[in-house]
Amino acid sequence: MSDAPAGVARNVRARATPMLAMRIGWRNLWRNARRTWLTAGGIAFAILLVVFSMALQFGSYAGMTENATSLLTGHLQIQNPAYVNDQRVEHTIADATIVRRQIEATPGVLAVAPRVEIFALALDAEGERSSGVQIMGVDVAAELSTVRFLKMVKQGRVLQSADEAVIGATLARNLGLDVGDELLLLGSAKQGGMAALALRVVGLFESGMAELDRGLLFAELEAVQNAFELGDEVHTFAIKVVDLESIDTTLGMLRREIVRDDVVIRHWEEVLPELQQAIELDRVSGQFLYWMIMILVVFSVVNSFIMTVFERTREFGMLLALGTRPAGIVALVLWEALFMWMLGALIGLSLATGLLWWLADVGIYLGAAMEEFSAQFYMPSRIYPALTAGAMLTAPLVMLIGTLLAALVPALRIPLMQPVEALRAE
Amino acid sequence: MTEVVVRCSGVTRTYQDEAVPVYALRGVDFEVRRGEFVSLAGPSGSGKSTLLNVIGGLDRPDEGRVEVDGTLLNDLSQSELSDMRLNKMGFVFQAYNLIPVLSALENVEFIMQLQGVGAAERKERARVALASLGISELEHRRPGELSGGQQQRAAIARAIVTNPVLLLADEPSANLDSGATQELLELLQRLNEDSGVTIITATHDPMVMSYAKRRINLRDGAIVEDAINEALPA
Repeated sequence: MSDAPAGVARNVRARATPMLAMRIGWRNLWRNARRTWLTAGGIAFAILLVVFSMALQFGSYAGMTENATSLLTGHLQIQNPAYVNDQRVEHTIADATIVRRQIEATPGVLAVAPRVEIFALALDAEGERSSGVQIMGVDVAAELSTVRFLKMVKQGRVLQSADEAVIGATLARNLGLDVGDELLLLGSAKQGGMAALALRVVGLFESGMAELDRGLLFAELEAVQNAFELGDEVHTFAIKVVDLESIDTTLGMLRREIVRDDVVIRHWEEVLPELQQAIELDRVSGQFLYWMIMILVVFSVVNSFIMTVFERTREFGMLLALGTRPAGIVALVLWEALFMWMLGALIGLSLATGLLWWLADVGIYLGAAMEEFSAQFYMPSRIYPALTAGAMLTAPLVMLIGTLLAALVPALRIPLMQPVEALRAE
Repeated sequence: MTEVVVRCSGVTRTYQDEAVPVYALRGVDFEVRRGEFVSLAGPSGSGKSTLLNVIGGLDRPDEGRVEVDGTLLNDLSQSELSDMRLNKMGFVFQAYNLIPVLSALENVEFIMQLQGVGAAERKERARVALASLGISELEHRRPGELSGGQQQRAAIARAIVTNPVLLLADEPSANLDSGATQELLELLQRLNEDSGVTIITATHDPMVMSYAKRRINLRDGAIVEDAINEALPA
């Protein structure tokens, strides 16, 4: 006791210091160790499952996006605005050489492939068989640097001169052509006249996509431009960026750099809306599952804290009797909940990080049976999880809020307690 | 004239038991002056614990006035009552009611932490309080590692460490054997006489009553006797 006489007490308001509340909260956690481990285990399980699934999901999106954009479309495309909805031969970008230089000079651009894209009729040399095709007039070197489609030539070789063509294997079969055979292309030139181009098939590609294998034909850019009276004009610039993560920055730079009425710069999400929709659908269904898992675990935390509050009613009555403010007792319960979450998050995140770190190196092979199926959805045959902040932090933060709310709900009973009644509780 | 610490005027407390009103206190009037050691005695259901709770601001009267150290408790909010208990009262409960996860020393420190007393002063005062109750060597033990008598001593140390105006003890000997009870009562007596702590205890233990300077007998919620303990030296 101090030397002050009895009854000379300072009149102060109760304030539980954070250190005191933390100490009591931490020790309270171990009053029922089994319950604590079970509840923390539930939190850890939810965090492990959701972090792992999200990392895998984000990783598969990255793989799908890279697969899809690297095939033919590129990460960005530049076109004439009119060409986007109406792919007529005259909807071109003029002064293609100047525009190409501007694109190549923009930071963040790795490669650019100019293209002329024209619908025409393809006939065999005898004119007996015909088929509608889309001619892709390409700069082969630029094309190979930007996308991988021409690497799918399974028979023959890629283009080397102006009179050569690479066509789909199905198209070749339909026209009765093979490597070395000639074909004739007929279409409308830009000025309205008839355009004709005779080419020799030097390669056959197999992409696995029926529509492309049946209707796509590659030829040298200049040859197509000359045949269809396009001069220095193209329909599309396909662009590969250095880093897909910062594609929006590069897009913004290009939009500032190339300000012309006959140009629109499009993100791959606009060019491949079906891919974006598939990702969005998968993301939403994944989120629904994650929320269900986390809500279930939060309910178990609520249950745990309901038991805690009921079991300690008498103790809370004693604390109230001693002069502790109800908010101070609620704070004790919340500290306990915070420590519970920290324990669960530490276990869950440690396990998830270890597992994902290993899988980020070796990946998850989907199996030979899945390869063909997954290719149709641009899925890679091996998925690598994405160790992103979003995947790693979303579940722990949601569980933090959930755990605190789960503890707060039963703890809100404390301010309603009458000390004298609480002290009588068994 | 000695200062009045507790003044009860016409205090009535009624409980509803299946729609039948039960009178726990019926118009109780009495005063306690600074330095008194009062026992509230009576059989179970006589209203002694209810009166103690009303004085301690743990329960509110339906009618009448309760003043502690010049403050009318009837007018105070729950928060103000909390502050009143923290700053002016010390409680000793029948079941000790120590915080099970804190050591004896930390339990005594707890109340001073609520008051915002600095760490060094807090520790020193808590150690002095435990020493005055003869349990210094047990300061690091938690309640579960202490006997009933030792826990009650720690609870008293917690109650007196803030120098309260009033020490309220509800059946403090109920869970103690006769040896521990005697030690406890000698301790309370010493606190009352040496430190001038005003003590009110609710009890039906004749041994506790024998140590109090004044005995107030209750029956059916009313005071039936208010007498000085003649057996004690004046």
